[in-house]
Amino acid sequence: MSWQRMAAIMGVVYGIVAILPLFVGDIRFIMQILIICLIWAVVASCWDVIMGFAGIFSFGQVAFFVIGAYTSGIFAVSWQVPAVLAILMAGLFTAGMGVLVGLPCLKLAGPYVALVTFGVHMTLMPLLRGDIGIALGSGGSVGILTIPPITLFGYAFSSANIIPTFYLTLALAVTCSVVILVVINSYWGTAFLALKDSEEFAVSLGISAFKYKLMVFALTSFLTGVVGAYYGHYIGMLSTRMLELDLFVTLMVMLVVGGIGKFPGAILGAFITVTVNELLAPLGSYRAVTMGALVVILVLLLPNGVMGFWLRRSKAGATST
Amino acid sequence: MSEDTLFLIYELIDVIISGLTNGSVYALMAVGLTLVYGVTKAFNFAYGSFFNLGGYLAWLMIPVVGAVGGYVSIFIAVIPIMFIVGYGLEKSLVAPLRKRPEWEMKVMMMTLGLALFMDNLYAVVFGGRVKSLPPILEGTLDVGDLVFSYQDIMIFFLSIGGILLFGWILNNTRIGMAVQAVAQNPEGAKIVGIPEKRIFAATFAISTAMVGFGGILLSQKYFISPMSGGAIMVKSWVITAFGGMGSIRGGLYAAFIIGMLEAFVGYTLGMSYSMIALFILLLTTLALRPQGLMGRA
Repeated sequence: MSWQRMAAIMGVVYGIVAILPLFVGDIRFIMQILIICLIWAVVASCWDVIMGFAGIFSFGQVAFFVIGAYTSGIFAVSWQVPAVLAILMAGLFTAGMGVLVGLPCLKLAGPYVALVTFGVHMTLMPLLRGDIGIALGSGGSVGILTIPPITLFGYAFSSANIIPTFYLTLALAVTCSVVILVVINSYWGTAFLALKDSEEFAVSLGISAFKYKLMVFALTSFLTGVVGAYYGHYIGMLSTRMLELDLFVTLMVMLVVGGIGKFPGAILGAFITVTVNELLAPLGSYRAVTMGALVVILVLLLPNGVMGFWLRRSKAGATST
Repeated sequence: MSEDTLFLIYELIDVIISGLTNGSVYALMAVGLTLVYGVTKAFNFAYGSFFNLGGYLAWLMIPVVGAVGGYVSIFIAVIPIMFIVGYGLEKSLVAPLRKRPEWEMKVMMMTLGLALFMDNLYAVVFGGRVKSLPPILEGTLDVGDLVFSYQDIMIFFLSIGGILLFGWILNNTRIGMAVQAVAQNPEGAKIVGIPEKRIFAATFAISTAMVGFGGILLSQKYFISPMSGGAIMVKSWVITAFGGMGSIRGGLYAAFIIGMLEAFVGYTLGMSYSMIALFILLLTTLALRPQGLMGRA
């Protein structure tokens, strides 16, 4: 897909979202869902970059999200760091963690990488709940409850004034998406794809696997960390419940729905998935069962997600004319 | 010897026994996982959910067969069910993905969805409260001052028996040799007329039967809870990677090392640190030997 087309799809999606508050601005519930959609759109896109473009089976995206959220929360609550600075520091810290996790993954084959990154995810819960986490200020099994909202020039972006907060989130999501768009269409993005398709050949052409794989870890975990930190300040409280399997699988559904390696697809996937998830709420405890079944069915029946569906149709149209 | 040292020694022996019992069941599960990865290259994220499926099926059987003495009939009934479930799932869900590009990633995603589906289905059907199975044999074996429970002894020997039986099947039966042939050289196996697809399904089914057997054994000591599958899966996965994927002997050693490690970490630092210890062990091993203890480079 050309970058113009990616940008056009992104522009249409974000454009529609940007004017939605004109119609539903009064309904808090819908505005909150929109904000959550935007946040997950970025996280899913980051996951798409590392998995779909760079071909690294990273299962640590939720872990990085939680690391970012907790780092910023701890900075803001225990050390009274201003929210914006705390978010940036959290992003840098998460990027560091990403590189640290990426280092042992460089030489490992696919399933091992998935294991190491998923291991980070599984270790995070006992770590945050245990003595070490409490000593750092994670609040143990209760979590962090009083994270201050983001304040810019004396104006607090909390859920009390939801429309400005929505536009701030939109700005963040658009910025992150543009960064991703630029990266995957630059020399770096080509290098990621080359390494994914044939690592030996790419290396023989002088592309450093070491450099680009670490770069992809650093970039995606930085963005995920920033968004996670932002999420923490928006919601105002954090707990280790985010590390349970449902959120992880929900993110994966976004990726499958959007199409793996079909970039703006993940954004569409996030909007569709969050909406469907909310519509499934009346199912109660059957919701997670349905989500699980959906993953199985979608992986089998929708190999390239909605984007693949779209691309195939437009391709068929191009050949028939 | 003073009273205190004696007490400490007894406690240590308890820890070692717990490590050996858990290790033996882990070995059973790791062998199943390493087999399915070694032969079919498909990674099964729902492995832990099959562990619980074995536990729940056994729990359903208890009132029917009349509790304690009925474990033989439970094994006879549950293990074939697990085998059939595994065979059907491979045929209907994994096999169609095999032809796609990047199918390994897709299998991981699909089985993760399956895990979420199964875990939450257990929660809906059986309720969130934990279930327990009666011990397979009650009573204790007293050797001097040492006390061994028959349950631990039975679990240990049944797991080892299961592994030995599995090894015998792999080395002495037609289907076992066909599985080995496919693992060693899929093309060559196809040329000599081994039905590859059926072997893939059979391998997957054998591994689900093994983990179901492990589920019945270990659920007597602990409890069956709907959401515990994830931890079980990660544990068997760590063991498999630590031992070397595709290496059955490596998986055996790794299972006992990790069973012991877990028991000692649980004893000295507390159970919640065992996952952290496992992960540190895994990272160090993979940093030094990316192929695991016994894996081929």
